[in-house]
Parts: sequence; C-alpha cells; structure tokens
Amino acid sequence: MKTTAPVVLLVVCVVALAAGCGGSGGGSSGSGGGNSSAGAAQRGGTLVIDRSAESESMDKETVFDNESIWILEQIMEPLYTVAPDGKGVVPWLAKSYTLSSDKKTYTFHLRPGVKFSTGKAMTSADVKFSIDQARKASQGWGYLDTAIKDIEAPDPETVVVHTKFPWAPLLADIALFANGIVPKDYGGETAKEFYTHPVGTGPFKWNHWQHGVEIVLDRNPYYWQKGKPYLDHVIWKTVTDTNTRQLQLQGGQAQIDEFPDWQTVNTLENTPGIEMKLFPSTRTDYMMMNERYAPLADVHVRRAISYALDRNAMIKSVLFGNGEAANSFMPPQVPYYDKDSPGLQYDADKAKQEMSQSKYPNGFTVEMLIGAGVADEKSIGQIVQQELGKIGIKVVFKPVDPSVEFTNEQEFKYQLGLSYWTMDIADPDELVTFAVDPTSGAKSFYTDYNNANVVKWTHAAERTFSTGDRQKLYDDIQKQAAEDAFMAFLYYSPYRYAFSDKVHGFFVYPTGNYHMENVWLSK
Amino acid sequence: MDRFAYILRRLVQAVPVVIGVTVLVFFMIHLVPGDPARTMLGVHATPQKVAALHHEWGLDKSIPEQYKLFMGRLLHGNLGDSLFYHVSARDLIWQRLPVTLWLIAYGTVLSVLIALPLATIAATRKDAVRDQAVRVVPLIGLGFPPFWLGIMLLLAFGLHLGRHFPVGGYGDGLFGHLNSMFLPALTVALGIAPILIRSLRASLLQVLESDYITTARSKGIPERRVLLRHALRNAVSSTVSVLGVNIGFLVGGTVVIEQVFALPGIGQLMLNSIFQRDFPVVQGVTLVFGIMVVLVYLATDVVHSLLDPRVRFD
Repeated sequence: MKTTAPVVLLVVCVVALAAGCGGSGGGSSGSGGGNSSAGAAQRGGTLVIDRSAESESMDKETVFDNESIWILEQIMEPLYTVAPDGKGVVPWLAKSYTLSSDKKTYTFHLRPGVKFSTGKAMTSADVKFSIDQARKASQGWGYLDTAIKDIEAPDPETVVVHTKFPWAPLLADIALFANGIVPKDYGGETAKEFYTHPVGTGPFKWNHWQHGVEIVLDRNPYYWQKGKPYLDHVIWKTVTDTNTRQLQLQGGQAQIDEFPDWQTVNTLENTPGIEMKLFPSTRTDYMMMNERYAPLADVHVRRAISYALDRNAMIKSVLFGNGEAANSFMPPQVPYYDKDSPGLQYDADKAKQEMSQSKYPNGFTVEMLIGAGVADEKSIGQIVQQELGKIGIKVVFKPVDPSVEFTNEQEFKYQLGLSYWTMDIADPDELVTFAVDPTSGAKSFYTDYNNANVVKWTHAAERTFSTGDRQKLYDDIQKQAAEDAFMAFLYYSPYRYAFSDKVHGFFVYPTGNYHMENVWLSK
Repeated sequence: MDRFAYILRRLVQAVPVVIGVTVLVFFMIHLVPGDPARTMLGVHATPQKVAALHHEWGLDKSIPEQYKLFMGRLLHGNLGDSLFYHVSARDLIWQRLPVTLWLIAYGTVLSVLIALPLATIAATRKDAVRDQAVRVVPLIGLGFPPFWLGIMLLLAFGLHLGRHFPVGGYGDGLFGHLNSMFLPALTVALGIAPILIRSLRASLLQVLESDYITTARSKGIPERRVLLRHALRNAVSSTVSVLGVNIGFLVGGTVVIEQVFALPGIGQLMLNSIFQRDFPVVQGVTLVFGIMVVLVYLATDVVHSLLDPRVRFD
C-alpha cells in the first residue's frame, strides 16, 4: 500500500510495483474499530472522508495506488477477503472451497443471492471472466495470478480454479482486489468505458468522480449483507493540505481525516469530539544496500551498518515516536512473521566489532540516494550519516528528483537507498519472493542479495500447505536474511486516521483497506 | 491615436509576450531530470510506452521541429492528455478555471472595498490619529504570509468564533460561492489592500494639494464633492496600475490560497499535478496563468487609458 505524503509517492511506487499496493478488505460483519459504544447502528447519512492524495484510476486490474484501491474495493469484491488481523482470509463472495488431493484444483462454492448493483445476479461466468481479465493484465496485477492454469464455471454457483502446480498462497491471491468480480464482458462495454463507472457487488455503487475534487459513491440497495451498508453516500474529497483536513474535521465538514501529520497525533488524541486511531499496518521501512558496490558485498560491513543505526532516533524524528523498530523484513501483521527473528538492532560496540572483521576496517565512503525535498528521507539520512560516521563510514548524500529515485534503485545506480513495503495479500510469498530471490524481477529488493538456501526455502514455502512446515521455512528465511543483513530493517509504522466521534465501525485493516459497509453515523 | 487604436496596439504588443510564454512552457519539459517520457510514465512504463510517448511528443525530433509540433497542437486547443487521469488536460483546466477566476475577482473587489474608504479617510486627515491608524494597517497586512493568514481566518471564522463560513470548498450556486469563498477572497484582499491603501493615500495627498482642487474649493464646492468627483478620479489612475500589477502576482499566488482553502481551482490543480508528475497539465496551467497575466496587464492599461487620456498619446 502506499504513501501518506505526495512527495514520497514515487519512492513508494517502487515498492508498489513489485510489492503492489493494495489489499482487500476483510472482516466479517461488524468488525472492529471506530467508536463501538454508541448502541445500535443507525441508517442514513453522508460520510465525507478528507484524503491526502487523489485517485489515479478505478481499473482494479492495473492500478497500483492505494487511493484508488481503497475506493474501488467498496464497489468490487473478491471471492475471499483479508481477515481483520491480516493473518489470513475469510469467505466473501464465495461461501467455501474444497481442495483436490493433488493440491492443484480449488473448487469455490459461490454465496447464493449475490447481486451486482444493477440488480443482476452474479454467476460463476462473471467470476471466471473477472479473474481471467486480471490474469491477462501484464502491466498490472497479473503476476500474482501466474500460478493459475485455467478457470472453469461448471454451473452458475461453482468456480473451479486449476493451478499449474501446488500453490499454497492461492487463496490469498484470490482475495486480492484485482480479482474482484465484475459483470461478464464488462456488461457489454470496453474495459476503458467500464472503469469510468465500475459496477460490482460491493456495498456502494458509482455516482461520479470530479477529478482532483471528489469521488462520490451511493448505497447499493442490492448488497448481499442484509441491512448494510448503513450510509447513503460516501464522499472522498481530495484535500492535500494537512492543516485544512484537520480544520474541516474539527469544523464538521468532514468526518474522517486520512493521514494527519505525525506531529499532530498527540493533539488530536486530546481534541474533544475527535477520535485519533493508529491502526497496525504492514508497512516496513528499510535501508537498501547495493551489493554491487564492493564494500557493501562484505557481510561484515552490512552487519556493521545494521548495528550502527539508531532506529529509535529515526522513529522519534520521523514518526514522533509512533512506531517500532523492525526485527525482520516481514511486518508483524503478516502471516508467518517471527517475532523472535534476530534482526540486527542498534549496538554501537557490535557495529565496531563487525567493521574490524570486515575488509574495510578503516572505513570507506558511500553515497546515499535521497529524494530531493523529501523531508523524512533527509531526516533519516542525517541520522544514518551521523551514526555511520562513528564507525568510519563517510556517507555522502546524492539528492535526486523523487521521480527518478526508484528508477535509479531499480537500475542499481545507487549505493545506499531508502524504500518501504506494504502488503497486498495475506500471505508472505509476494514480499519474500520480491525481497530475497535474486532471480525475481526485483533482484532481491534491488540489492542483488543472493543466498541459495534462502531462495530454496522461499520456493519450498510456496508449495508447502502445512502451516507448521511453512512457519519453519519462513522462520529460517527471516533468521538467515537478518544474519546476512541484506537490508537494514528500520521500523514498522501504523496507519493513522482521525475521525469524528459520530463515526462508528470504521476500522483499517493491516493491508490498509477498510470496509465501509460497517460504518455508520450517529445523529 | 484614438482609443480603439491604442487597445489594438496593446493587443499586438501582447502577442510576442504570449509567444514567449509558450516558449517557456515548451522548454519546461526539457528541464525534467532524465528522460521526461520515462519520468512521466513512472516505474510501470514499458519501453514500448516510452517510445510511443517519445513519438507522440516528437521527442526524437530536433528542438525547432518539436516546438513547431507543440505550437501546432496548441493552436488547435490541444494541450495533450493528463498522464495521471488519462483525460484531456484542456478539459481538466477548463473545469477548474471558474474557481480561480472567482477567487481573483472576488478578492480584487474586496481589496478595493477595503482600500478605497481607508485611503480616503487617511488622506483627508493627514497625520491625524485615524491617518496614523490606517498607515499601520499596511505594515501588518504585508507582514503576514497568505497561508498563515488563511489558516488564522479559518480558525477564527470557521471554527472558534462560530462556524460562520465553511472551512474550505467552493460552494454551490451564487450564494454558496459568495459564502464559501469569502475567507479565501478576504485573504487575497488583505494581501493586496495594504499596497492599494499606500498608493491611493499618497496619490490623493498629492492631488488634494493641486491648484485645481484649491480652485474647486474656493468656488465653494462641497468638500465631499471635491473629493469624490475631482480628486479621487485623478488619484485612482496610478492606483489602477498598482492593482493590475498585484493581480498579476496574485494569479500565481492563488496556488497557495487554493491549497489552504481546499479550493478546486487551477492553482491547486497545478500543485497536485507537479506532485503527480503530470506535466501536460502543469504545462497547460502555466500557459493559462501566463495568458491571464498578460490579459490582466492589458486590461489595466485599457482602464488606465480610460481614466487618464494622456496615456493614449505616449
């Protein structure tokens, strides 16, 4: 998922491309959040969400930015969806599935009575069409569906998915928003026409989009969860100025403020009529080390760097204390995260010790790529520069336009660089393949890190269905990756939302999405 | 030279300025670091897409040829498609333009409504307490940056002293616009009014000491009539030029004010488009801003010529 500040957008797209940004909402009915002490849910009303950035497109198959994804998920829903804790999936438009003994055939049984917002019943033909279209999106999310061999629709309520090989993450992949269900043949339109006013089975239906101003959705009267959604309309307004968003929330013009500034979190927590919530996210920030630069190919140097960085100083400086030091490249909200993984933490003595064991005991000079004008990167860069200076590593900043920062990283035209990852699916495979497999498109997060055992375990985990066995494999991967210090894992940070105390049922999932059908306004 | 010929001459003089603006706008694309096509298409771009955009923009051609192509499209009203929204940049700008024009017009009217009485009060009682009081206003007004002033007005009149005005937004219908845009227009006005007050006060003081004013007074014409009919018209002439220059600056200044007040005008569109690397839209808005400034200066000269016939013969 994506970023909070426009200036970081390009950096994030980095991750967004391979990591993808998005996810789907999970949650069974009545899940979490907001204010839960206001009694029975009330129908009606219009909810205004002030958000920090604009949507790009409603094309679920190709769009990568979260500001689009979080809205289109209110319209188009998948067969399964992410659970509220982000650690698994729950049935959604499918009520159940069975898996063949060779683990290569998934048979989904669709939930009866599901209708599109046009009133037309959803059938297996719609499901087959929707997932087939998502698979074809070579410039979009198709790469997550590559394990799928073909899809059949033997009867209106059954969908059969054949995989090319046993593939443990399939359910998580099916739950991706890109595999959301739309009417077969886009209801007779071209894809381009259809996605200007998409139709789905979700709690809300399309009203209009005034580019750069607002997107308005209306209640879907045919929604399959009886009695939901509660709201008549939801409006996402683009208000990029953080002060104005806060004032509009306080003034009652908006009910939800997306991503208030970190520095205002404490103030908002103490503002009457306002709820300030930090929802656990899957965002993990890293410092990448390009192993094509000789000193960084030395594991002792990388370990020294990892030990030298004061994560808490970064958390204080950038997040105003609202984060946690990362011990793994996997975040706590992803399945198979190992809380005991020995991610190298701040230890000045060990940093010096590792440097003395390296081929560069007297230090060296290294360039650090910084997005020009990106305040957070500058703050982190200054801490990195100061801390590495203590172990003899001279850090020289190389500021570049944020728009080319990721391109430079992709092309290995950097030595040290900053990036982050957020999860799109409730399975670690997407992240792990991206991060530690040098043969993947991302070449181990663009570091060229290559540990044959880690790669072997990664691919074994993809085909292992036993939870215990998968956990063991991912524990080994996290432990080894941490010891190899292929990146410096920096910190985990939450999603931050401020909302009126009249808002109830608002809950943000670790994948960043939310389920508006559960949200209601008290009078 | 009659009035029509003067206006025509000024129009002709504006043409090279507009051409200069187009040249600047054209070269903006060449200031983007790296390959502009790749930068604009982002990290998802395939080599085919990059090549297609190169061809579309003629980036594989020489600079003069590229400019010729750019102007050819421009003369057909084609600003290209937004890379972010995939819709016509011209349509995006066209939808947003009324908000910015409203802001500029409303702000200008308010600034005149503030400046005219204050300057007149100050000039008619030179060095009196009320003159000193009015002379302090510009110092305060000019000292506050618009973004800060805007936030303070929002806090005061949108929140803490009662919710008299909406906290941002454009509003619906004439009354809605007048209501919603009052605070942003006031922010604009408070930025311009101090300059107008200073200019108008100085001009009025000068004019009020003229022989013809003394003559008018000696004829027994009431002071109010002397001031409004005889002095103000002459004094206001130079202030119109000052106002014109400031509206010119204001056109660019709307970027900040639209951002603070969440107004969906072309200033906000430009800022967001910069962050989104949506260069066709940035180019389009820059062009529109440039043309607006030229038109404001042209209108200023025309009004000036109507108020002071001497300028038509220079």
